[in-house]
Amino acid sequence: MPRRRIKKMPKLNLIPILDAIFIFIFFLLMSAQFLDIYEIGSDAPITTSVSQPKPDKEPLNLTLEIKRSKILVKTGLDGNLYKSISEKELAKLNDILIELKNQNPKENSAILKPIGNYEYHKIVKIIDATREVLKPNVFVTSVDEKNRKYASKVLFDKIIFETQN
Amino acid sequence: MRKRFQRKREKSEPMELDITSLLDILVILLVFLLKSYNASNLKLNLVKSLTIPDSKARKLGNHSVIVQVDKNKQIWIDNKVIGTISNSEKIDSLYDALKNKRDIASKNNPKLIAKSVNLVLDKKLPYNSMQKVMHTSALAGYTEFKFIVQGNY
Repeated sequence: MPRRRIKKMPKLNLIPILDAIFIFIFFLLMSAQFLDIYEIGSDAPITTSVSQPKPDKEPLNLTLEIKRSKILVKTGLDGNLYKSISEKELAKLNDILIELKNQNPKENSAILKPIGNYEYHKIVKIIDATREVLKPNVFVTSVDEKNRKYASKVLFDKIIFETQN
Repeated sequence: MRKRFQRKREKSEPMELDITSLLDILVILLVFLLKSYNASNLKLNLVKSLTIPDSKARKLGNHSVIVQVDKNKQIWIDNKVIGTISNSEKIDSLYDALKNKRDIASKNNPKLIAKSVNLVLDKKLPYNSMQKVMHTSALAGYTEFKFIVQGNY
């Protein structure tokens, strides 16, 4: 009786895959940055002496005056006080800015006027509340260049710093 | 006799190394590295006495001149100490260093002179120090400020 030969299963050659993974790991290790860093853009204010044509609607001129413990939200060229809130109520500030953005969908800039000894990390928190809607399922109306309305999470993302006298 | 031949044949076969477990480790490492991969071309070496603030910002940074100011108000440009924040509105040491950088950049490539500067500031820094840095940078020709922050999920 002939002896049955057990067929050996062919082994998968993993060496080329291993080579590719090693190269990939080397590339990723070289380009890895373990600190998640992002940027917040801001421009230096530009002053012009040329008179510009008067717009049909008065600009929003949103200004956030940051005092020691409160934030004054001012609007208009005369700087009319719109609301005053505590520095800890950033969610409330965000709600106010959502309201203002819905009223003025074309506006995208905010002027920040902090006091001299106000700490940088607190300013960053205020910038976060000014640039974006913080609530997960809330959107605001924005307008593109062709005057088309769309839902967006962006509030006033153009931040300009100004000095308080 | 037969047994002896069998043993000889077994010895001549090459030893096979099982690399499956090694492959598992490498795949885990690959997933971890892919997750921490950042497409930004900004490479940042934070100075010792500096902690950057947390933010919800999601815009990746770009390569440009890096100005770092630590908690002792010491100023660093591209990881070299250049001075400290003075009492005057314009910081002369910072102005000279930035102006020098800009002049070199304009000689190398006059058409592509960067206007932006990456500001890496300590989270406890007061606004008046921050403002002096911004004012001096703007005077030196860097009018776009990019505040570098840490991602906060």
